[in-house]
Amino acid sequence: MENSTIRKSKVWSPEKIDEIQEKAELGRYRIRGQATKRQDLPSFDDLVFTPAGLSRVALEGYREKCDTRVVIGEGRVKRPLVLETPIMVAGMSFGAINSNAKKALGIAATRCGISTCTGDGGMHPVEREASEKLVYQLLPSRYGLNPYDLKRADAVEIVVSQGAKPGTGGTLLGQKVSEEVANMRDLPLGVDQRSPCRHPDWMGPDDLGVKIDQIRIATNYEVPIFIKIGAGRVYDDTKLAAKAGADAIVIDGMEGGTAASPEIQLDHTGIPTIAAVVEAAEALHEIGMKDEIKLIIGGGISNGADAAKAIALGADVVYIGTAMLVALNCNKSIYVEDYKALGTEPSACHHCHTGKCPVGIATQDPALMARLDPDEAADRVENYMNSLTMEMQIFARSCGKSRVVDLDPTDLRSLTWNTSMITGVPIVGMGTTRNPYWADYHHATGQHEFVAK
Amino acid sequence: MESVKDQLVINSNETSQEKLNELIVDAAKKGIKEVVIKHPQARHNLGVGITDPIHLVYEGDVGYYACSMSDHISAEVHGNAGWAIGENLMSGEIVVEGNAASSTAASMRGGTVVVKGSSGARTGIGLKGGTLIIGGNVGYMTGFMMQKGKMIICGNAGKALGDSMYAGTIYIAGDIAELGNGAEIVDLPKAEYEEIKHTLESYGMKAPASFKKIVCNGLLHNFNKKEFGVWKTVL
Repeated sequence: MENSTIRKSKVWSPEKIDEIQEKAELGRYRIRGQATKRQDLPSFDDLVFTPAGLSRVALEGYREKCDTRVVIGEGRVKRPLVLETPIMVAGMSFGAINSNAKKALGIAATRCGISTCTGDGGMHPVEREASEKLVYQLLPSRYGLNPYDLKRADAVEIVVSQGAKPGTGGTLLGQKVSEEVANMRDLPLGVDQRSPCRHPDWMGPDDLGVKIDQIRIATNYEVPIFIKIGAGRVYDDTKLAAKAGADAIVIDGMEGGTAASPEIQLDHTGIPTIAAVVEAAEALHEIGMKDEIKLIIGGGISNGADAAKAIALGADVVYIGTAMLVALNCNKSIYVEDYKALGTEPSACHHCHTGKCPVGIATQDPALMARLDPDEAADRVENYMNSLTMEMQIFARSCGKSRVVDLDPTDLRSLTWNTSMITGVPIVGMGTTRNPYWADYHHATGQHEFVAK
Repeated sequence: MESVKDQLVINSNETSQEKLNELIVDAAKKGIKEVVIKHPQARHNLGVGITDPIHLVYEGDVGYYACSMSDHISAEVHGNAGWAIGENLMSGEIVVEGNAASSTAASMRGGTVVVKGSSGARTGIGLKGGTLIIGGNVGYMTGFMMQKGKMIICGNAGKALGDSMYAGTIYIAGDIAELGNGAEIVDLPKAEYEEIKHTLESYGMKAPASFKKIVCNGLLHNFNKKEFGVWKTVL
C-alpha cells in the first residue's frame, strides 16, 4: 500500500504537536518549574581534565591536603564571607519552597561551612536560625525587605535577573501564596504573584553604584555585596557590575532553576553556563579585577566535575540550587501515585509551580510538607555537599594543584569543536595548537605533484 | 559639628558620607533628639539605615536615598529631594518642602512621606504600607504594583497610574493621563474625603475640592485564560 509507513516529522514532532494543542486548550503559554529541557546545550561534560603525568606531578589522591576555602570581600568589608568549600546554596524563596526545606538546607550548609540564600520573599526566621551564613537577597519586588533583616545578613545580594528567565520577574502562582507567604510578602491571599523585573529605585549601573553605597551604609560596611545577573550580555554586564562596586558577581546561566516560569522563556532566553563563565572571567581579567572581585557561577551545576570545570574556567565559587533540592528528595521515586496524579513520574517532574510537590519541598500544603523531615533531609544534603567537595579535590590533586581555586583553563581540553570555540579551551588531540608529526606527509610523499599530474 | 543638649549639628561640607551616617546612627542610639544637617548639597545617602528614633533636619536639597531603609525616624527637608527619598521606610514621618525626583517612597512599608511640591516617575512604586502625600503632580508609573497603603495626589498624574496594583488606595485630585492595567476609579465616600482633607490640613496643605479614588479591580489577580483582552498588555 502506498504511503503506509509511519514517519514522524522533525519539524512537526510529537512534542511540538502536543505543545500547540495544549496552547489551543489553555489559551496561554505553558508555565512550569525546574529548568530548560533543551538537549542541545554545550555543557561542562564537553570538557575533560588533563591530569598530571611526567610534565607535572600529581598530589596524593586520597591523602595530601587540598585547600577548598574561599573568602568573599576580603580587604573590602569588615566581615568577609568565609566559605569552607567553594559552594553556595543558591537563592530559593520561602514560598517557592517551604520552611522545612529551608531548615534542612540551612543545617546542612552550616555543617559544611557554606552559605544559604533567602531568595525572594524575605528572611524566614527558621532559615536564619538554621543558617550560620545567610545571604539576603534584595530583589525588584522588595518582598519582606526591612533594615533589621538586612543588618542580620552575612552578605547582601542585589538581584538584577535570574538565569532561568532573565529579563522578567518572578512568578508564584496563587496556590502557593499561603497565609504565611502572603503576610511575609504583603500580598492578598491566593493571588498570582508576578514580580517586577526592574528595581523600583534605580535604573542603570550609575544608580546601582549609589544603591550599593546605601546598602553599605545600612549594613555598616560589614558584609559583602553581590550583584546577581542572569546570563545574557555577560561580558558587558560583568564590567558594569564591577564598576558599580560589587564585591562578588553572580552569573546565573540559562540552565538555572525556577519554581515557575513561562516554558518558552526557559528554553529560549539566556546563554549556557559554560559560555557565561568564560565571558565573565574574561571581563574581570580585562579590567584587572579578577583577583579582587569574586565570580560566582550558577546554572545546572550537578557534580564535582561541573564545579571544578567552572572554577578552572574562572569561577571562584559555584551556586547550586536545583541539585540541592534533588538531594532533599526532589524527583525521588517515592509517593509515585502523586506524581502520576500530576501527569508525570519521578525523575521527570517539573511541577513546582502547582504547589503539589509529591515529596513535600515545593509546597506550602501542611500534609505534603510533613513528608520532608528537615533533620533527615539535612543529612542527605550534607552528604551531597561533602561529595561535591571531595570530587573537586580529586580533580585538583590529579592536576597537581594543592588548592581547588588553582585549577585553570590549561588543565582542560575540549571534546567538541563547539565547546572549544565557546571556551577557548583547545580541543583534544593536536587540534590547531600545533601540527602533528605527520602534518607534512602529503608533501613529503610528493602527493601534490602526483595530484597535479 | 556641635552638640547642644538634645541637638547635634553636622556640617555636611566637612563630613564624609560614611562619617555623617555614623554620627546620625550614633546620635539616635544615644537618645539625642534632633540632628541638623547643614549644607547637604544634594549629596546621596544622607541618613540611611537608622532604626532608633530621631528627628533629622536637612537645611537644603538632598540627593538619592535620604531617610531610606529606616524606622522610627522623622525628617524635614528644606529643599528638594533626589531619587527614592524614604525608600523602604518602616515607620515615621518625612516632609519635603520642595519637589522630589523619581521613586519617592519606593516600597515604603509604613509611616508618612509628604512632598509639598511635585514628584517624578514611579512615585510610590511597590508601596507596601503607610501614607504618601504629593502636593503637586506625579510622573509615569506612579503606584506601579502597589500592595498596601494609600497615596494622596493633589495634582495630575502621568501614564500608567496604579498599574498592576495588588491592593491599597490612590486618591487623586487632578487629571490622569492614563489609568494603569488592573486599576479602576470607584466612588469616593464623603467620610474618606473629609479624612483626606484633615490629613492635608495637618501638614498645612489646602485640600482640592474633589478627589477620585483608585483601587485594584482584581482582574489581574489570577491568571485567567478567558480574559486575554485584560492580560495581553501585562503578560
